[in-house]
Amino acid sequence: MNRGTLPGFPRAPLPLRSRGTRTRGLVRDLPAVLLNSLFAAGLYATMSYGLAVIYGVMRIINLAHAGVMMLAAYTTLALSTRFGLDPFLSLFAVVPLFFALGVAFHRLVVRRLPRTTAAASMESLLLLFGVWLVLQNLAYAIWTGDTQSILTPYTMKSVELLGVRVGVPSVLVFCVSALSLVVLQLVLKRSWLGKAIRAVTQNRDAALLSGVDADRISAVAFGIGTAFAAVAGTMMSTLYAFTPDFGRSFLLKAFCIIVLGGMESVAGVALGAAVLALVENALAVYTTVPTSFQDAVSFTLLVVVLVALPQGLPALFTRRTRRGIPA
Amino acid sequence: MAPARRLAPVAAVAAAALLALAAPRLLDRGTLNDVWNVAFAVILASSWNILGGFAGQVSLGYSAFIGIGAYTTVLLAMKGVNPYLTLPLGALLAALFSVAIGTPTFRLRGPYFTIATIGVGEAVRVFASGVRFTGGSSGVRMPAGAFDFDLNFAAMALLAVAVVALSALLSRSAFGSALAAIRQDIDAAEALGIDATRFKLAAHAISAALVALAGGLYAINFQYISPGSVFDFRLSLSIVLMPIVGGVGTVAGPVLGALIFSYLQIKLLSVPSLRDSYLFLYGGVLIVVMLFEPKGLVGVWRRLSRAVRGRVPSHA
Repeated sequence: MNRGTLPGFPRAPLPLRSRGTRTRGLVRDLPAVLLNSLFAAGLYATMSYGLAVIYGVMRIINLAHAGVMMLAAYTTLALSTRFGLDPFLSLFAVVPLFFALGVAFHRLVVRRLPRTTAAASMESLLLLFGVWLVLQNLAYAIWTGDTQSILTPYTMKSVELLGVRVGVPSVLVFCVSALSLVVLQLVLKRSWLGKAIRAVTQNRDAALLSGVDADRISAVAFGIGTAFAAVAGTMMSTLYAFTPDFGRSFLLKAFCIIVLGGMESVAGVALGAAVLALVENALAVYTTVPTSFQDAVSFTLLVVVLVALPQGLPALFTRRTRRGIPA
Repeated sequence: MAPARRLAPVAAVAAAALLALAAPRLLDRGTLNDVWNVAFAVILASSWNILGGFAGQVSLGYSAFIGIGAYTTVLLAMKGVNPYLTLPLGALLAALFSVAIGTPTFRLRGPYFTIATIGVGEAVRVFASGVRFTGGSSGVRMPAGAFDFDLNFAAMALLAVAVVALSALLSRSAFGSALAAIRQDIDAAEALGIDATRFKLAAHAISAALVALAGGLYAINFQYISPGSVFDFRLSLSIVLMPIVGGVGTVAGPVLGALIFSYLQIKLLSVPSLRDSYLFLYGGVLIVVMLFEPKGLVGVWRRLSRAVRGRVPSHA
């Protein structure tokens, strides 16, 4: 397995264009756009769900999410250089590790914050922002600011699906994302733990009255959110080159997705992810918007949604104003 | 109100302004440079505090306004306009831009607004690096010419005094009370008939204009700007950290925070090994302040003075 710095490594997802030259035929490019959007959406949903579950249970916007993704990418790199572990196999080590880190972090720090049930507090946002900065500096200190990437034997391989050439890592990433979301959905719907998480999300006080240890559920939810960020980070390390600053634009995407789809359901997150991925891919293929402006797409989409259909944003607004009225 | 109490603040402002004007005669160039940095930091922190502190709308996108002010000045100066005459235009443009981005983003509340402003800052930076008139990543330079540091220093110092005086005035005015009501409970404020969006937009525009003025003066002093320098996320970050360390929503807090931060910055830049750990420092400061005293140094001071005053009668 090869590794190290590769300046020429593509920053964008591996070539996922349809065959042929730059023709802008709507029909001709449609399969490519749809397929690429689907693959991107899988990753986006995994990345966003971690934010959504922490918000749902604790009303905390976890800005350290971006830092966790970055740290997971570097952990994957370290595992692959030290032990030659395949990035996708390293998930088996990364997920438990980051789950434990998340739980420990909740026990040590997050729990000490003043608890707010009604709305996310500014204190928690800024605290986690501080954590993100510390994580970034940690990565700079350990791995320097050089661009890193992970190269596997299949990084440059591609397969043909529905007449579209797709990179093998993208397919694997989509499979892992889909699998993780399905497992999550099963846990949330079928297990006692999932029921408890949903109960605390809906109404913390009522959950407490029914005998749910909300504090413990919060710790578990923080662990799950951190683990999901780590899954996303590990998968991104197979697709993109990364630096310690890696994750900021993805954090914006994730925020855009949860605003689009609503904070509290797996389906909503998946829908928001699909919309963002479709807009991004369609813009890249059908218009001449320079790729350097790609990062602004999610923000523009966010503004458009806020201006055009503020009521169309489900949980975020209506529920919050309702909760704002003291009971 | 007694005339002496009314006159005291005016006298303080006048004394500060005179001191700022006399400083070039009294201090050497190195110290003046440090004072210039402090004044710049005070303007940024106190202006940000009008929206972020008084109205409680924490924005992480203020580098955009510095950039607008700085670019307006440099681009017009390249066309032959006196740079100091461009300052009001930069302020106006920044205020207009603040209304343009505030209109959609003020629909968001609290932390959601904060995240959206990260997006604003990022989008502006990406845009500025992509278009041609900003000089791309190589930046633009002021036309060569006589540069008068004393003039720039005087303008920056006077602006700092004016901004602090304005912030003190605002905190006591009806406008300031409306902002405080919005910060404490926006639904209750609206129920009382306060048009929250309009007040937030006004506070945003005022602070954006003041920050843009500082940005223009920054460009005149440094002679060279690029999207990487004036639209940097780290700039937005330190603008937020200063009031937070000092005490959000107070008049003295941002000034205190700016003093501490510029001192630290000067120290940090002189120690190479510390220069690489500024994120660690910023992040650590945020964590410590949020965990132990979200109201910053002013909060610590209030707690201390309350403890001192409170103990005497209870134990007597």
